[in-house]
Amino acid sequence: MLAWATLLLILFAGNWITDDRGVNPAVAGFAALVIYAVGVALILARREAIRRGAPPSSGDPEAEPDASVAAVIVGLSVGCILFGLVWARFLVYFGAAMLVLALGRMAVELRAERRTLARAKGIREPSE
Amino acid sequence: MDRRRRPDEDLVSVATTTAVRPARISGWLGAATSTDHKRIGLNLGVCSLVFFLTAGVFALLMRTQLAQPDMHFVSDDTYNQLFTMHGSTMIYLFVTPMAIAMALYLVPLQIGAAGISGPRWALAGFWTWLSGGLVMQSGWFTADGAGRAGWFSYVPLSNATNTPGVGQDLWTMGVILAVAGMMVMAACVLVTIARRRAPGMSLLRMPVLTWTGLASVLMVVGSFPVLILAMMLLFIDRQGGHIYTGYTGAIDYQDMFWFFGHPVVYVMFFPFLGAAAEVIAACSHKRWFGYTAFVASLMAFAALSMAVWSHHMFTTGGVTNQYFAFTSTLLVIPAGIEYFDMVGTLIGGSLVLRTSMLFALAFFLQFLIGGLSGIFVASPVLDYHANDSYMIVAHFHYTLFAGSVFGFFAGVYHWFPKLTGALLREPLGKLQLALMVIGTNMTFAPMFVVGQQGMARRISRYPTHPGWGTANLIETIGAGVIALGVAVFLANVLVSLRHREPAGDDPWLGHTLEWATSSPPPRLNFERPLPPIRSYAPLLDLRHEAEDRARATHESSS
Repeated sequence: MLAWATLLLILFAGNWITDDRGVNPAVAGFAALVIYAVGVALILARREAIRRGAPPSSGDPEAEPDASVAAVIVGLSVGCILFGLVWARFLVYFGAAMLVLALGRMAVELRAERRTLARAKGIREPSE
Repeated sequence: MDRRRRPDEDLVSVATTTAVRPARISGWLGAATSTDHKRIGLNLGVCSLVFFLTAGVFALLMRTQLAQPDMHFVSDDTYNQLFTMHGSTMIYLFVTPMAIAMALYLVPLQIGAAGISGPRWALAGFWTWLSGGLVMQSGWFTADGAGRAGWFSYVPLSNATNTPGVGQDLWTMGVILAVAGMMVMAACVLVTIARRRAPGMSLLRMPVLTWTGLASVLMVVGSFPVLILAMMLLFIDRQGGHIYTGYTGAIDYQDMFWFFGHPVVYVMFFPFLGAAAEVIAACSHKRWFGYTAFVASLMAFAALSMAVWSHHMFTTGGVTNQYFAFTSTLLVIPAGIEYFDMVGTLIGGSLVLRTSMLFALAFFLQFLIGGLSGIFVASPVLDYHANDSYMIVAHFHYTLFAGSVFGFFAGVYHWFPKLTGALLREPLGKLQLALMVIGTNMTFAPMFVVGQQGMARRISRYPTHPGWGTANLIETIGAGVIALGVAVFLANVLVSLRHREPAGDDPWLGHTLEWATSSPPPRLNFERPLPPIRSYAPLLDLRHEAEDRARATHESSS
């Protein structure tokens, strides 16, 4: 990802040399920055993202949520807010309230996910 | 039973090789709230398909209006809305999301992951995208009608003075929502590829489709935010914000729009290229030829496609034509490598001409017409002649419809058994292919001719000009034939789901990991241990090893 962003940067530099308008380096630089940022974030999150070769075998269980009502409401409430900006102001407030509630609900879901994962690890460790 | 257990914890499965638990919410609500990447991918795919049918109806209405010179089937204003909403629906609500749906469904399976990273984000992204689609289409129900400034909505055409009305505002908000939703889903695919590959799955062992998905999501993450910003500024501009003023404002808008608009063409192309490549390799019973060169050329292709955006603006006089002509022409090199790899895979293979294979071959052949016509519009001198004519309409429909949509159908026929456990009917599939090939070429080939003769695009009526009436009539009939082909496809899906022919887990002797699991795959994708991953075609490796063992046993016994 970092190599690809560097390739982009070289191409954008070619454009910047031949074109002195401000908007091109701004959008191109932004895009390269986003790719670099995602790459760096992945490195910080887990070095596995940049390790050479194949990932090793891992016996750790991973949490996989089955359903999330909160995520659905987050998506719909964002839609509601933007629709409200055009159509009716009360939808903006309604959407914002729904968004806050949905984010709260999502925090509950994430906590439940962590508990389940911890319990699964706890069951596995004694058996090992 | 653990008394301390909270009800929320029932919504979580723990991904191990054996512990598989069904979703606790069932029925429609379960499907709508499921964080299973397969369900999100399916939901996105089905909704995209509904939008495809909607856009098809818009196209048929437009083609009816253009069937003969000086027709009055719809008003000029309605025609403007139709072509705007046709283009917008196809790009923001069908081809791009379908590409992402394919990646969402297949990439975790191909890399041996139990799920997707950030499943809640992916689900929220899907609903944001769907909200965007509905907001965009809701413009039809307003007094002024839907958006009518084109799928690009250039400034100053799209400002409040030239395009008044709520419909255009709804279009703008719809685009923001749809693009933001797709961006979130694409980011989830990107993180999944980076973090959740199975043991043994190094980058250069990832299947071709996963690589095309990776190239696409990288472009999404880099370019889509710019469109969101451009659209937000357009909305503010329309509310009296004076953002895009004068010539500079108009050019700046176009720069920002096409910084998204060109990469998205490749986002709409790469996953279908990957699908066609997988189909060709599986139906040739051969490894994909020149894998490493393909991967390198794909990433170069993706980088170059982020650096060609202003070739859409050659005739504005506001951009450096030389630089963008140079980078646009360079695209020929990676494209050539991909075609070379495709031909290399076919040579010496034992070909099975199933419907999926025929669609994949049609994809490569027809896309070639789109690609070759792209070479001369990459030249500013020639583009001055072709710009804003039907030549351009023909060019991009050969890439996006004759190319990507055929790649999509190749993928559908190939992976439908994996998705549903049932086979699609081959005779109906071949009938659909025949209708679509005939219809596509009847519709889009004459556009090259009338475009060359100067017929401008986005006009609702044209004068009686020698040949234009006949050519346009052929195009309209062709559009009807395409519609018939799509109807045959829908009938095929219906028949195949009602009277199921069981597919088994691996009906095509596939090469990649998704064929190592059941059809449809279980909640956590793999119930059996994964086969060893030593290349980008682990199942083919297994078969070769089994053949080698059998041969050795036979030789030793004889």
